[in-house]
Amino acid sequence: MSAHRPVRSVVVAALLAFAWVAGVGVAAADETCNSPYIAKLIKGQEDYVYVWALGVEGVGDGSDKLVTIDVHPKSKTYGKVLGSVSVGSRGEAHHMGFTDDRRFIWAGGLSEPKIYVFDIAADPAKPKLVKTIGDMADKSGYLGPHTYYALPGRMLVQALSNTKDKGGVTGMALYNNKGDFVTSYPMPTDGGGDGYGYDLAVNPKKNVMLTSSFTGYANYMRPLGDLIKDAEAMKKFGSTMVAWDLKAMKPKKVLSVPGAPLEIRWSLKPGDNWAITAAALTSKLWLIKEDKGEWQAKEVATIGDPAKIPLPVDISITRDGTGLWVNTFMDGTTRYFDLSKPEAPKQTYEKVTGKQVNMISQSWDGKRVYITSSLLANWDKGGSDNEQFLRGFAWDGKELKPAFEVDFTKEQLGRAHHMKLGSKALKSS
Amino acid sequence: MRLAAAALLAWLAGAGPALGHDGAPLPPLDFEPPAPGTYILHRIMPAPDGEVLGLDGRPQRLSRFTRERITLLGFIYTTCVDPDGCPLAFRVFDAVRHAVGETPGLRDKVRLVSLSFDPERDTPAAMRAYAGRRATDGGGGVPWSFLTTGSARALRPLVEGFGQDIRTATDLGPGRPRRELSHVLKVFLIDRAGFVREIYSSTFLHPRTVLNDIATLVLDH
Repeated sequence: MSAHRPVRSVVVAALLAFAWVAGVGVAAADETCNSPYIAKLIKGQEDYVYVWALGVEGVGDGSDKLVTIDVHPKSKTYGKVLGSVSVGSRGEAHHMGFTDDRRFIWAGGLSEPKIYVFDIAADPAKPKLVKTIGDMADKSGYLGPHTYYALPGRMLVQALSNTKDKGGVTGMALYNNKGDFVTSYPMPTDGGGDGYGYDLAVNPKKNVMLTSSFTGYANYMRPLGDLIKDAEAMKKFGSTMVAWDLKAMKPKKVLSVPGAPLEIRWSLKPGDNWAITAAALTSKLWLIKEDKGEWQAKEVATIGDPAKIPLPVDISITRDGTGLWVNTFMDGTTRYFDLSKPEAPKQTYEKVTGKQVNMISQSWDGKRVYITSSLLANWDKGGSDNEQFLRGFAWDGKELKPAFEVDFTKEQLGRAHHMKLGSKALKSS
Repeated sequence: MRLAAAALLAWLAGAGPALGHDGAPLPPLDFEPPAPGTYILHRIMPAPDGEVLGLDGRPQRLSRFTRERITLLGFIYTTCVDPDGCPLAFRVFDAVRHAVGETPGLRDKVRLVSLSFDPERDTPAAMRAYAGRRATDGGGGVPWSFLTTGSARALRPLVEGFGQDIRTATDLGPGRPRRELSHVLKVFLIDRAGFVREIYSSTFLHPRTVLNDIATLVLDH
């Protein structure tokens, strides 16, 4: 994605109604792990963290909601909740993604085929629910929208399940930015494919899209304690990734990656053409790289002690591709891997950051790290271990230092899951 | 129509590296694109309509330029200097026009449209100067229309309808304050019925991918 030349010394003047942003650069990628088609990159200090939170019965209104938190250290309301937008129902809120113009956030839940569209451009401090897309199941047969990946003028939505048997065989639904269904693409079930889906990430310069695989509704909506005792159910987790021809949207090669490979992160360093993922059940890092003219997957590192099932759930790559944060849910640990040799990642730091931790996001400069707590409503821990939070940290390359915390239970907000960063400068009408 | 597509494929097979209008080679494509007709270009959305001004300053509907032929449409502004923005699109348009013009049976089925999103500065006269000989040379039978609008109000439904994000700011650098525009490059491929079938960012905006897509639409027809 190219963009036109940055404005030099700037005072913003909104000369046209459909205008602009200031203090926001334009680059080839978002804050380290979004679609490369997203135009506006927050290179400086972000003002907000948007948290997509699962509703909890008896907590607040019990509904899923988008929560806006002030994260600008110089603000009087630093570390405070600025507001929240309830969607009025509980549907296992999970992930979200920006449209390519970063004017809207699409967010959805895993227990329903609904997608919520929030306007974050009119007033970045006060997102507004402007549309609910409810036709995904009817149009595609897929259930549990998970990843929202911006393509030019479109949103590619990776689902986790299907409406027929609620298993893991699923696909992707393509919408235009107005929210109109365009088409769907099934995950491959031949050539070694298991048909499962989870995340997707593209490398346009190589015309490749990678997808990963998790499990279906029947498993992810089940209490974790029951699930792990069910040997048959535990067989129904993804063990593949797929390299697609992005232009043709056709699978080219199925890669064997056992143990439910989850988030996919391409290195953003110019010239790099590799991606990395973490397999949740085997606690391994896998490198996906082109070799001998084909995309290959290679196990390159172990995360913690796999025998203890630390369950790596989210990863965040640095902007230069030399470092990787890994959150492991069960032991509440945040680890940092040196990726300067991607074929041999080396853990250099770890810290317990919560009794349970899930998502991890970092600012473009890597100096600020944000962590949330919830994995899935039925997989989160119980009792006092069920902490629900957004925690902000400062990272100086040596130590994660706590900066602020928002207690989502105390604030009556629910379970804190996915995060996206926001900026006042992204305001446009 | 299939003969035209076959002729275009033959041209593509024999064509050397594409050249822009200034003779500078376009950036190489770092992958082998899928062959025409082996993939589907879905209907993404109907192309929006609105009032535009041609080089003669006469108001017309944009739909007059987005129907009946396969249309490659890009938003531009004449003062754009980013090599990865409007100039890149200009060179790709030039290469596509040349290739299509060389293909009998196809040249009367394709058109190009450059639409300004800077109505304040890009008057019809400014667009004529920007177009140069391309406004009048016939392009081997492949028309290239240079359009603008009469006001920001007239432009707005078009940029919003296409989803073309545009930013404007004031540069307070040395000298007089200057208004600066910027946009992330998007180019739209529109079929004969007026539906957008592909949206290119700079990554996929290359004569080979565009020509393959044109051939795919021809085969699809």
